Amino acid sequence: MARALTKKDQDGNLYTRPAFVEEKIDGALGQDLPTLLRRSQVTQKSNPDFLPLECLVHLIREFRRQDDQHAMSTFLPVLLRRCESILKSKVPDDYLPMAEDVREEILGEFSLLFAEDNPQGATTELDYYECKFFHAFRTFRMPIIERARAEREPLVSLPAEDKSGEEQDIGEVLSRLSEEFRQPATQIHHASRNELLRAIETLPRDQAKAVLLCYFFGFSEESEDPSETTAATLCGVTGRTIRNRLGRAVNALSKILKKEDLCQ
Amino acid sequence: MSMNVSDSTPLKDVLYAFSMAQTVPNAELLDDFARRYPTHAAALTDFAVSIVLDLARGGDDEEPAHAIGSTVSKAVSRAMSRFQNKLFEVQQSRATGGTFAATQGDVVNPFATLDRKGFRQLAEHLNCNAVFVQMLRDREIEPATIPPRFTQKVCDELGVPMELVAAHFAAPPQVYGGQYYKSTEKPRASTRVSFEEAVKKSGLTDEQRTYLIGLLS
Repeated sequence: MARALTKKDQDGNLYTRPAFVEEKIDGALGQDLPTLLRRSQVTQKSNPDFLPLECLVHLIREFRRQDDQHAMSTFLPVLLRRCESILKSKVPDDYLPMAEDVREEILGEFSLLFAEDNPQGATTELDYYECKFFHAFRTFRMPIIERARAEREPLVSLPAEDKSGEEQDIGEVLSRLSEEFRQPATQIHHASRNELLRAIETLPRDQAKAVLLCYFFGFSEESEDPSETTAATLCGVTGRTIRNRLGRAVNALSKILKKEDLCQ
Repeated sequence: MSMNVSDSTPLKDVLYAFSMAQTVPNAELLDDFARRYPTHAAALTDFAVSIVLDLARGGDDEEPAHAIGSTVSKAVSRAMSRFQNKLFEVQQSRATGGTFAATQGDVVNPFATLDRKGFRQLAEHLNCNAVFVQMLRDREIEPATIPPRFTQKVCDELGVPMELVAAHFAAPPQVYGGQYYKSTEKPRASTRVSFEEAVKKSGLTDEQRTYLIGLLS
């Protein structure tokens, strides 16, 4: 049986692995290294040999505890290669200038977690990765990506004014913002929603935040009730500032989004 | 859900907890966390917005379906070098109960015990030459650029642990007393070059160069 995790959540309860991860770990613990190595490189979930990333993290941490240098040096590169594959879709080459450097930085910093791992001490960060690897990994990579975005010119800047006169009407943009984030998820809707999100991502950060807080999350711009959480309180500004940012954002989006997209 | 305000929790743990709670955060989750951790509210809001924007590049619960292949990229190689260097540093620190300083005086040079014959044999087994081995001995190669497979071969040939070799490569460049080629100039510690540059400037044969460069991929 796998060693219990020691990290606790905000309510003081121990984090626990999902049942499917526990099963996979139990099945893997008795296997020889060549078999584990072969399985660790399977990425199709439907394959019975598939080892989820949560399981791979656990195995490497066990090798670390046993001071098995050879096993660590064998399996950690496999984990890093699978992470690199994820990063190539999350930080593609056309997303940021020098995206390859950003991916390399993320992998380098991530590898240090395994060197510093000490379940008996304070460094138990890897417990998160044994529970929900993808959610933990996005927590890790996003600050590095945001820092890189802030340091670099945005790859997709706002386009010049559309001379064809086919900008979207402001009202249509507002309508689309309201509808897109309320519809149930379908394949067509995903493509349309993702297009809208990519357009929002090109806005200055404060405008993107205002749009998403109000239209995705559904917060009010401001409230007379001081105990209510609003876009203004979350951003630490006044309601008027939020409205100004929304106005600039919608104007910018009307130039980015093509009128014919409304017909989907 | 408990509404205890526990604002002493480090930001990193708050963000992890927020991310672990739901695949896609909603207003209720953000509101709850912002109230529970008011000094982290701005960071939580930024993070929530980043998660939503990240959705445009695919969901967060699936690996790409294509096979990962067996070759190790430069990024993974460099990450492994960083891991090995850090691992040795941490282990030394825990063993001594203090901070480990990788100074020249603290780090064992695993090449120090080699005589002329041993030096030549090592070069032969590593498929390089004495000049290249001398660069390894004197730490003239940037450690992050040395392929892990090559470092492992050095460990195997010298019969020492990986951490020792990694720490040696990571320590500052040095001038070594023993010389295995004639020189009319006084030796001095040089600046580092990448593994690839070292291969190119060491006077290796074509076969040796091809082999060593091949370890980078």
